[in-house]
Amino acid sequence: MTLVNPEFAEELERFGVNTALDCFNCGTCAAICPLIYEHFPRKMIRYIQVGARDRLLENDKELWRCLHCGLCTYTCPREADPGELILGLKRFIVSNWRRS
Amino acid sequence: MYNPKIIIDLIADNIRKTRNPFGIPKSMINNWWTETPVRPEGDTLLFTGLMYQFTPYIEKTTHYLERYEDTKLADYMQYSKYIPKFIAGTVLALMTPGKEKKKADTIVRNIVNILAKSNVEFYYKPELDDYSGILLYDLGDQEGFVRHAEFVAAKLKRAGVRKIITVDPHTTYALKVLYPKYIGESFEVKTYFELISLRSKNGGARVTLHDPCFYGRYLEMSDVPRKVLANLEIECVEVINSEQATNCCGGPAESVSPKLSKEVLDRRVEELQSAGQPIIAMCPICLGNLKKSGTDVEDLSSLIARSI
Ligand code: SF4
Ligand code: SF4
Repeated sequence: MTLVNPEFAEELERFGVNTALDCFNCGTCAAICPLIYEHFPRKMIRYIQVGARDRLLENDKELWRCLHCGLCTYTCPREADPGELILGLKRFIVSNWRRS
Repeated sequence: MYNPKIIIDLIADNIRKTRNPFGIPKSMINNWWTETPVRPEGDTLLFTGLMYQFTPYIEKTTHYLERYEDTKLADYMQYSKYIPKFIAGTVLALMTPGKEKKKADTIVRNIVNILAKSNVEFYYKPELDDYSGILLYDLGDQEGFVRHAEFVAAKLKRAGVRKIITVDPHTTYALKVLYPKYIGESFEVKTYFELISLRSKNGGARVTLHDPCFYGRYLEMSDVPRKVLANLEIECVEVINSEQATNCCGGPAESVSPKLSKEVLDRRVEELQSAGQPIIAMCPICLGNLKKSGTDVEDLSSLIARSI
């Protein structure tokens, strides 16, 4: 079972992740992303929204598929900055690795 | 896919020790200036950021990473923290062919010649020319990036540098956007092709530009190289997904997953080839990556140098 952590979004703000709640899950980013991979990056943003910290940590390595190309950010209708959200999640994970 | 943690730790460690991602002393990497007359003092510093000079080493490392991705060796690296010697350091330097190093140097020299022909005044000091650290930023090692960027910027400030000419999109983005944002240091930054004022009628060629993500999207300056080429009477044949909507070549994934990088590359090459013209890159990462596909590609600076 996935544990839901309502403070997760707050914890991530320190890493520059602060637009996740603007996303309304339209999937434009996943449709345009050159990775063409399992609803990426929308899926990762959903994990933030629902506070699925554990689920994100289980799948953390997938974040490094992201090319930081910015195409999703360019096309996001909500200006939720998906590309920068993924980069912020990378920062969060790296900082976790360093601390552990 | 390699475990990103291993790759990030390796790159961060190399940057800490040698100030570049390959763990090779700068004196082995940056030599183009020894045979090129450049002024050692002036108002505007040419800051290559070393990325074109890195291209032969990137090619060599990714060649090995490609060979061992998803093999027992990759697993072994993950659990034993063993890093094969050919991925970084002096062994990598020795295995990288001199011919490729010369090609990379020629690109920097062409840029120097183009600037000189445009009557742009600049100076070069190899001791002030460093890697920007942008790979650490892209990989999410923010602390490592900030530490390295502070080192680079402090050196430039101490030397009284205010104006900088860059030659690639990654370094340009780092100095123009990331340094002010994350370490509070600003410089007046221009890319070399923003300063070109050259006209020629020798052109006549038709080419397709591959806009790099940083120039096309992040810095919104795709119109500049197009104007430069128009002045040289070179026609740009556009493809879908260009300028701000450009499609990534896949290069940034090459250290973590060469396989993924190649998948993205193949799709982009197909798009670019649909125009039926030679392809022009303007980023060392794109150039190296597009070359891997065997397609007809050259750097913008080579095309300009040839046309004037
Ligand atoms: S980040 Fe933007 S494009 Fe992606 S699902 Fe959310 S709203 Fe849509
Ligand atoms: S920035 Fe990352 S998630 Fe966004 S389109 Fe590019 S590769 Fe996909």
